[in-house]
Amino acid sequence: MTKLSPNLLIEAQNLRRTYHQGGSLFTALDSASFQVWAGDRIALIGRSGSGKSTLLNLMGGLDTPTDGTIAWVGLGPRETLRPAKVAFVFQMPSLLAPLTVIENVEMPLLLGDTPIEIARTAAMEALERLQLTALAQKLPEELSGGQIQRIAVARTLAYHPKLILADEPTGQLDHPTATLLLDTLFNTLKDTDTALVIATHDPLVADRMHKRWTIQHGILQTDSSHNGLQTVNATPQPKLSITRPMPKNSAPF
Amino acid sequence: MLILLWLKGLLSRRPGRLLGAIAGVALTVALLAAIGVFIVASGATMTQRAIASVPVDWQIQLAPGTDAKAVTDALGQSAAYSALQTVCYADSDGFTAKTKGTVQTTGAGKVLGIGPNYRKDFAPELRPLIGSLDGVLVAQQTAANLQVAPGDTITIQRPGLPAAEVKVDGVIDLPFADSLFQAIGTPAGMAPQAPPDNVLILPLQQWHSLFDPQAQGHPDSVHLQLHVRLIHNLPPTPIKAYTQVEQQARNLEARIAGSGIVGDNLGAKLDGTRKDSLYSQVLFLFLGLPGVILSVLLTLAVTAAGSDRRRQEQSLLRTRGATIGQILQLAGVESAVVGTGGAVLGLGLAVIAMGLLTPGTLLLTVNSVVWMAIAAVVGVGLAVAAILYPAWKTARSSTVVSAKAIIGNSRKPLWRQIWLDGFLLTLAFVVFWRTASTGYQVVLAPEGVPQASVSYDSFIAPVCLWLGTALLTLRLGDVALGRGRSTLTQLLRVPLGSLAGVVIASLSRQRRVVTSSIALVAIAVSFAVSTAVFNTTYNAQARVDAELTNGADVQVVVPPNSTGIPLTMQTQLKGLANVAALQPMQHRFAYVGRDLQDIYGIDPVNLPTVTHIADAYFANHDAQSSLAALASRADGILVSAETVRDFQLKSGDLLNLRLQNAQDGQYHIVPFHFVGVVKEFPTAPTDSFLLANADYIAKQTGNSATETVLIRTKNRDRASLLAQIKPIVSPLAGVKVTDIDAAQRTISSGLTAVDLRGLTRIELSFAILLLVGATGLMLALGMAERRRTFAILDALGAKPRQLGSFLWTEGLLVLLAGGTVGVLLGFGVAAMLVKVLTGVFDPPPDVLAIPWLYLLMAAIASVLSTVIAILGTQSLSSKASLEALRDT
Repeated sequence: MTKLSPNLLIEAQNLRRTYHQGGSLFTALDSASFQVWAGDRIALIGRSGSGKSTLLNLMGGLDTPTDGTIAWVGLGPRETLRPAKVAFVFQMPSLLAPLTVIENVEMPLLLGDTPIEIARTAAMEALERLQLTALAQKLPEELSGGQIQRIAVARTLAYHPKLILADEPTGQLDHPTATLLLDTLFNTLKDTDTALVIATHDPLVADRMHKRWTIQHGILQTDSSHNGLQTVNATPQPKLSITRPMPKNSAPF
Repeated sequence: MLILLWLKGLLSRRPGRLLGAIAGVALTVALLAAIGVFIVASGATMTQRAIASVPVDWQIQLAPGTDAKAVTDALGQSAAYSALQTVCYADSDGFTAKTKGTVQTTGAGKVLGIGPNYRKDFAPELRPLIGSLDGVLVAQQTAANLQVAPGDTITIQRPGLPAAEVKVDGVIDLPFADSLFQAIGTPAGMAPQAPPDNVLILPLQQWHSLFDPQAQGHPDSVHLQLHVRLIHNLPPTPIKAYTQVEQQARNLEARIAGSGIVGDNLGAKLDGTRKDSLYSQVLFLFLGLPGVILSVLLTLAVTAAGSDRRRQEQSLLRTRGATIGQILQLAGVESAVVGTGGAVLGLGLAVIAMGLLTPGTLLLTVNSVVWMAIAAVVGVGLAVAAILYPAWKTARSSTVVSAKAIIGNSRKPLWRQIWLDGFLLTLAFVVFWRTASTGYQVVLAPEGVPQASVSYDSFIAPVCLWLGTALLTLRLGDVALGRGRSTLTQLLRVPLGSLAGVVIASLSRQRRVVTSSIALVAIAVSFAVSTAVFNTTYNAQARVDAELTNGADVQVVVPPNSTGIPLTMQTQLKGLANVAALQPMQHRFAYVGRDLQDIYGIDPVNLPTVTHIADAYFANHDAQSSLAALASRADGILVSAETVRDFQLKSGDLLNLRLQNAQDGQYHIVPFHFVGVVKEFPTAPTDSFLLANADYIAKQTGNSATETVLIRTKNRDRASLLAQIKPIVSPLAGVKVTDIDAAQRTISSGLTAVDLRGLTRIELSFAILLLVGATGLMLALGMAERRRTFAILDALGAKPRQLGSFLWTEGLLVLLAGGTVGVLLGFGVAAMLVKVLTGVFDPPPDVLAIPWLYLLMAAIASVLSTVIAILGTQSLSSKASLEALRDT
């Protein structure tokens, strides 16, 4: 039994996820056991359809396992994961079409009952960090694919989650744009204890991560030889210098 | 192969989109087919009713000395007939009878001679009241004037010959006296000739023995008619049937030129019916067409709900190298599936709807099949317009990037720039004001002229009001969600909290879609409201009309100048369980100068307790003050406008009438004073009549008999009350007991009240379906198309109540704004329709009747469908979020 630690974010044992597909049972993930620690940089490598997205969805609480257990040890109950603690970056454009860039970025904060003025300030700071303030009043349909993904990253950074789950965020982008996006992401997270899990089949992306997990036909193999985990546990990363916007305790609805 | 793949994909991945479009097309096809077939059936019913209501189709008046057989031969060549009878008419200088020690003498009269089979062939002409139907018959009014009964003797004064005596065998009513004694051959448009006051009917042989000698001395005083019933192999529509009968009559007249003239009763009846038929077509246009237009709009809106996705798919296909031709082919396949599926489903729905709502109207005639085919073609055309045309437009005019755009530009459409909404509303009010102030007729069908026309100008006002308000709703919605965004945000800050800004921002940027939904709901609600209000007002007026004919819920009537309905019997009737109120009424005759008119003696204070006295019955449009004027003066009298004109009467003028006195049976002068003008009154005829105080008439004539008793019932079970009343009054000679339901059925032959009920039943049922479609279905489809948005919100961590903020705000905004505009517009259109279609109503209604129950049902249907759509979307958004997130 793993000793509980405040730096352990997720612990999963024998996770299994099956789907009914055309009358037969399809196993997307089988007997996956893993741990995610604060400050982790994990590359989840696998071909399309190997179960990467399923694993990310289970980690983020978007989906529930058919069998096995998952505990968000350092994050709290599943219902409280989003929007405050876990953020997603999807492969497909995930901005809300009728809202401007700034409104999209502040949305998770508003959903966390953050007062609107504080949410707007935090969103602008996130855009500034990614040098995207010029796009603040644009609508998503006026942006390029790369800009949309960078805005999606800005949206996750605006509220400083403890875990970012990115599902092939560069899958739709050309190489220079993908590089720019990853640079932005890594630079922003450099001095934080935010864990990052990126699902990818791009070796160049995987090379920039501390850990490399592979998944094939739903079978997960974690890279236990990497010592980045111990480093993180031994010496906790300093907290982010920017003050996290505090959610209101009770917003009237 | 590509087409099959696409089709398979649509069926498996987008079944909602296909089914929604098919449902919309099906609704349009069903409504159009049902209304079309109904109109065809309605026309046929009107023709059949017109035919059935005419006792004698043709009355051929023979010139003196004409060989009747030659005319009969010519008749056989011009038209096929099923019955033919010779009827002889003779003028008499008057009749005399000596009864109860007094001698009564009438003015000039008519003596008819009929064959033994006349009653069998033309039964409705003679209604037995007392005694036998064989032998010498005396008309009810003549019997009253002469105070004779079966067994008494009447002396007939013959010009140039000694008087002849006949013994009365029976007293009869002549329900169709107007046509029986019509002046045949008078030019069209001349005032109709009043039937004679005094009539005797003799067996043909007896007539010949008495009047053949008179024919020799005074040939002008005697004439022969052939009464004919045609074989009714006529076209179903009244207009065509009229034309055919008219042509046959003209053909016969040409064949017997100089020997006879045709009195075309059937043609005249069909002439009137074609006016009703045109009215029903106008009603169809006013009531049915908006429903069809609404269902077309709804279908276009349903398919437009998926237009963003279609554009994106099209853009993707083009990116992957598909040619415009291939894209159009795919859109063509989709529209073919939707069109064919919608047409088949719609026709099936129409058949089921008609079977349930208007049983008996679904007849497979050529015309009904044509209507169904038209509806199916419209359905296919609608599918092409909704799917193929937008695809073609997008393929020709937009780039891949612009096709992907969801919000798009916000350029003002042309109609907004030129203020078309304001122009249409102004036009609506100007035209309506003109229509209302001039009181013109929508349907013009001049008597005897084959051509009939509908004044389509009358459509302008309601159509412009409809369109103008719909466009104004779009404008106001756009302004409210655009410029009024910050105000709305402030207003919703309390219920939505910090999300108010983004919720309103989201609605504001999608305001083109949102305001279209509001306008569609407004149109759907207005359609339901206007149809229901008009229908209820119409039905209420049909009831007023029936009450006008029957007097009250139940009427007990004995012939005028009889012994009347005894007071003890009235008390007995009053004691029956279902009797709420009872009022006696006198019905006598009075001479106004030389003109004999019906006179009604009433209790002006208490009569309104049994029947509705409408304002429209009086020239001053004030029932209360007219009855009060009568009540305030014992010898007061209300007369017809015609009498006022003929005698140049002014309020308070003395009017001397002659009424029959009970003492001597003779007509004596009774002074009255003119207090007002009455146009119509319960049980009174449509031509001139008089209305006075019953007490005064009783005192002046020495006769307090009550000829009519009007009863208001406590509940609608009038049939059982009738069954209770009949045994009580059965000892009274010639007594007749009728209820309002029977009267309503009879009146329906006038303007097809029954048929309109069928039309509105179809309309009102479809209105609810359209309402549900415009509210819940549209909302659900629109939200389904944006399920990715909701899935993203869910993935970002939106709680159910937060997701609900977006959904409820949009749903309630559309429902409340659209519902409010729709209710106001519905009442406006209904008021306009009632005013424009004044000719339909007899008398016109005082106020609009409001169908509270239906409106409540419509409101519940709208709210329920909206709530179900929102809750369904909310539930599906969270469940299907993972799948939606993977979608492009």
